[in-house]
Amino acid sequence: MRNEETNNQRVRDLRVSVVFVVTGIFIGALLTVQIKSSIPTATFLSDQLKVQKELVDSYLDEQGLLKTKIVSLRDKIEVAQEKAKQYVQTANLDTLNSLKEEVGLKSVRGIGVSIVLSDGLFVDRKNPDVINQSLVHAADLRDIINALRSGNASAIAINDQRIIASTPITSVGNTILVNNYNLLPPFTISAIGDTSLMMQRIADPAALPDLQKRVKDLNIQFKAEINGGLLIPAYTGNLGLKFISEYKGS
Amino acid sequence: MKHLRKPKKRELSLLLTAILLGLLISLQARSFQNLGDVINRDNRADVFREIQILKETNDNLGDEIKELETQLEKASNNQDALQSVMDEIKKYEFIGGMMDVSGPGVSVIISEKVKALWLTDIVNELFSAGAEAVSINSIRLTNSTTGFDTIPSGQIMLNSVILNVPYKIEAIGDRKVLNQALSQPEGILERMQKLLDGVQVQVEEKDLIIMSKVR
Repeated sequence: MRNEETNNQRVRDLRVSVVFVVTGIFIGALLTVQIKSSIPTATFLSDQLKVQKELVDSYLDEQGLLKTKIVSLRDKIEVAQEKAKQYVQTANLDTLNSLKEEVGLKSVRGIGVSIVLSDGLFVDRKNPDVINQSLVHAADLRDIINALRSGNASAIAINDQRIIASTPITSVGNTILVNNYNLLPPFTISAIGDTSLMMQRIADPAALPDLQKRVKDLNIQFKAEINGGLLIPAYTGNLGLKFISEYKGS
Repeated sequence: MKHLRKPKKRELSLLLTAILLGLLISLQARSFQNLGDVINRDNRADVFREIQILKETNDNLGDEIKELETQLEKASNNQDALQSVMDEIKKYEFIGGMMDVSGPGVSVIISEKVKALWLTDIVNELFSAGAEAVSINSIRLTNSTTGFDTIPSGQIMLNSVILNVPYKIEAIGDRKVLNQALSQPEGILERMQKLLDGVQVQVEEKDLIIMSKVR
């Protein structure tokens, strides 16, 4: 009888201990989350954010205007050179045109692959404190571009921004910059070239291991399909060269 | 009415230990989550960096416009039109890798095998910092270069050539800006070295880098 009571007491003690341990772990986890949370320290935070957004928007508007002017100037130069055909020789103009195609200064039309990539559901990209694997990151876009290039894509664009060899794809917080221009999801990546090779490359588990896992586990939206009528626009950015020169040997 | 039993010393110490355990588990979980995930591949720069990038981009676009206006003037004058075409041809031959080129820049040597994504990211960082030409193990990266391909043996292939270690990445441009972009605190190289424990990377500013044309 006494033994039974002792046993019952032990079981009760054990139960209480388990409750304490679980509660303790829970409190510990809560404390960590609390300590790690960033608390806005700035005053007039909303005003600051508003001014920053306005500044970013004004630079983006200016960038749009500058790029339009660049496109117009490049067109005018082409027309002027065409008019002066007898002085510049047709062969030179043909060489120039094929070089423009090579460096991405001509729009291209053709069959290719179209990929649509977007953030997972229920994540707020606009919140700067959200650092989340359910968002599409600049690194994801770089990996897809690399996979398409290894599949011999001849022309690529993301949301109509032509990707050339020197295109930077970066991020600032949750903002993705392609050719230093701010892009928002959904990201539509268009690539002209050998469709079966490109589809094979983007399906290759070795090419996009991280993204494929997040598409499966975190609902990142990813859809790739063959498109017979893609139009990849010309590159509209800066091609200035300040440091490079022809090497003629020592 | 049931009275609550006063907790014993043993239970209180258990509670404290469990709180500590909870703290440790959470911290560990967070650091595991941080390791190796896609988020670490990009710099967590703030909005001021975005404004800086946009301003620099617009300044560069302004320079490009001035250059194009001069070019248009030349192209509109029959006597100078040929020169304008030849200037443009030369410029695009530089960009397209059809000429041997040289200039100041940086050289990056990675002594051990790394995944292709790190090479993609370093190249991206260099172009983002204004590199005008980049090569890896003497292969120029142009629009006609293929992407980095990882073959089943784990080696990286570029333009059907296997890249052997050490990987030597060279870039022509403003060497100080390029070096700073790579070597800044929390920059690409620091992040790579943190995640790939012990990988040796050497960055050197060079007065002259020579790159052969694409073959």
